[in-house]
Amino acid sequence: MRKFKETGVVENVKIARDIYRLKIKIPDIVNSVEPGQFLNIYFQDSPKIFPRPFSIAGVDDNNILIIYKVVGSQTEKMSYWQKGFKIKVLAPLGNSFELDSENNVSYVLIAGGVGVAPLMFFRDRLFLMGITPYFFIGAKNRNELPIAEDTKSKLYLSTDDRSLGFAGNVVEHFKSMLGSIPKPVSVYACGPNQMNKAMAKLGIEQEMKLQVSLERVMACGLGICQGCTVKIKSATSDCHYSLVCKDGPVFKGEEIILTADER
Amino acid sequence: MIDLNTKLGNRLSLSNPILTASGTFGYGDEISDIVDVELYGGIVTKSLTLKPREGNPPPRIVETPSGMINSIGLANIGVDLFLEEKADFLKIYRGKVIINIAGRTDFEYCEILKLLTEENWIDGFEINVSCPNVSEGGIEFGTDPKILSNLTRKLRDLTDKFLMIKLSPNVTDIRIPAETTQKCGADAVSMINTVYGSAIDINTKKPLINSVIGGLSGPAIKPIAIANIIKAYQVIDIPIIGIGGISRGEDVIEFMLAGASAVQLGTVHFYNPLAINEILQFLEEYCSQNNILSIGDIIGKAEV
Ligand SMILES: Cc1cc2nc3c(=O)[nH]c(=O)nc-3n(C[C@H](O)[C@H](O)[C@H](O)COP(=O)(O)OP(=O)(O)OC[C@H]3O[C@@H](n4cnc5c(N)ncnc54)[C@H](O)[C@@H]3O)c2cc1C
Ligand SMILES: Cc1cc2nc3c(=O)[nH]c(=O)nc-3n(C[C@H](O)[C@H](O)[C@H](O)COP(=O)(O)O)c2cc1C
Ligand code: FES
Repeated sequence: MRKFKETGVVENVKIARDIYRLKIKIPDIVNSVEPGQFLNIYFQDSPKIFPRPFSIAGVDDNNILIIYKVVGSQTEKMSYWQKGFKIKVLAPLGNSFELDSENNVSYVLIAGGVGVAPLMFFRDRLFLMGITPYFFIGAKNRNELPIAEDTKSKLYLSTDDRSLGFAGNVVEHFKSMLGSIPKPVSVYACGPNQMNKAMAKLGIEQEMKLQVSLERVMACGLGICQGCTVKIKSATSDCHYSLVCKDGPVFKGEEIILTADER
Repeated sequence: MIDLNTKLGNRLSLSNPILTASGTFGYGDEISDIVDVELYGGIVTKSLTLKPREGNPPPRIVETPSGMINSIGLANIGVDLFLEEKADFLKIYRGKVIINIAGRTDFEYCEILKLLTEENWIDGFEINVSCPNVSEGGIEFGTDPKILSNLTRKLRDLTDKFLMIKLSPNVTDIRIPAETTQKCGADAVSMINTVYGSAIDINTKKPLINSVIGGLSGPAIKPIAIANIIKAYQVIDIPIIGIGGISRGEDVIEFMLAGASAVQLGTVHFYNPLAINEILQFLEEYCSQNNILSIGDIIGKAEV
């Protein structure tokens, strides 16, 4: 059940270039959040009015974690927040990643940049179930890689500028390794639009089971404003608009039709 | 206790002067887990059209200084599905239920009204003649006095329920549509709908919303709303329901001083879903501090 809360910052640490991990105290919802869901952070007295959505990157005791990248004014403000700072949040929002219905699949997580956030939480869940997923993470360069090592997954890193790991983007990296991952695979992806698009295409080509977490600019995050639409094609109907904040953010790979003009 | 009861003509009374603005609160049920819907004097629903509408292609929204531009394009479930899926919630709702109606033609507006006026749980109608986001219908109804008076008369003949016309600020002189609707028998006018707005990406040179020009809302339009209400209040006697950028209790007082009998909360639901709680508390405080026994006493009291 989603709740609107005034709460406090527990911790806000830099984990890579321009990337931070924020811990927020929200005891009454930590047990009900699912990987893939997001929360809204509200800002007061700013000429920018929209709340900002962030994926839930994990939970511990009484807290929710998010991992965010400074890309504009609100995320810059966030980077100055210190322990005890009061903020308003609404959580949890949206749907979540679905576990595969089969037992013997290889779970593969594909993250572009700060798209790792929801997949870290999903990895935690899988690990608790005794599953160690394959985790592909790509970034522009080594300084922007949100994590460097991981005990809960088989980690595969890549950088566009060849400064660490595989040289190239994360989709190419995954493609190059596909042959050595035991079939069948179940793939979960989150990243910039271009990466999501490439994954959706690959998913169809390879007939893989794929779930992708999408981003859209959101005004409400609640399913009210009808602003965050994405074109979807489902098995039962023709193309129609779905709301990323309510019907998503997680969609099946084969449902997604990302047209060129969509940001 | 301050008396917040608000009478909007002979056909509708509210327990307090705060309503929701169409398109910013769904049909009430979508947000009732977060906001206590009973705190409002009433709910104004998302615009309903005769047939469901998918709405405009994305991108549909963009954030602008102290506001946003939308080009949702009246995406809605249509009147049939509305009756099937949303009626149960609204029937047990204790506040007033005002259905916002939009159409392409007089015929469409009238058909919806005929269908809904039979429902005893519906307390009134708000007629959207001012949507900037549809290619046909919408705003022309509100900006051409002849078309507006025709439509208002037809709708008045079809219902004995509260009938309110929602006016557009995208006109040279708001007094003309305001007087027209009063003359044609409307119980109230609500104003303002969104203001024409646009924004361009300087890198791609592309408009930031698909329809190029959309509707601006939020705190940025509050002064425009206040100016229009001051003007309209000078020429009409029917109640004015003020809309436009209301964020806090102070804004509600300002709207009422300008001449509004009640107000609607819109875009604020996106950046402060619980604004209603703070606003009601402020109204109580403001009235008791200023020895105002009934909130209605301040309507139109600005010294303009
Ligand atoms: C479901 C979802 C989950 C997300 N999860 C994360 C996450 O885990 N970590 C993270 O760093 N970022 C995440 N984002 C993106 C994050 O919301 C934006 O980076 C943030 O809103 C930028 O705010 P700003 O004011 O700093 O930047 P701005 O200057 O406003 O904009 C910079 C960029 O952010 C985009 N943006 C702006 N406002 C929004 C908005 N309301 N919704 C979506 N995008 C927006 C703009 O298109 C622009 O490209 C997520 C977005 C969505 C929709
Ligand atoms: C996302 C969005 C959707 C809207 N949809 C409708 C609508 O369907 N019908 C209508 O009459 N007005 C609609 N409006 C206009 C609002 O009801 C209101 O008149 C306007 O936003 C100004 O008030 P505000 O600044 O408080 O939001 C919409 C506004 C927004 C922001
Ligand atoms: S952001 Fe408002 S409906 Fe999705």
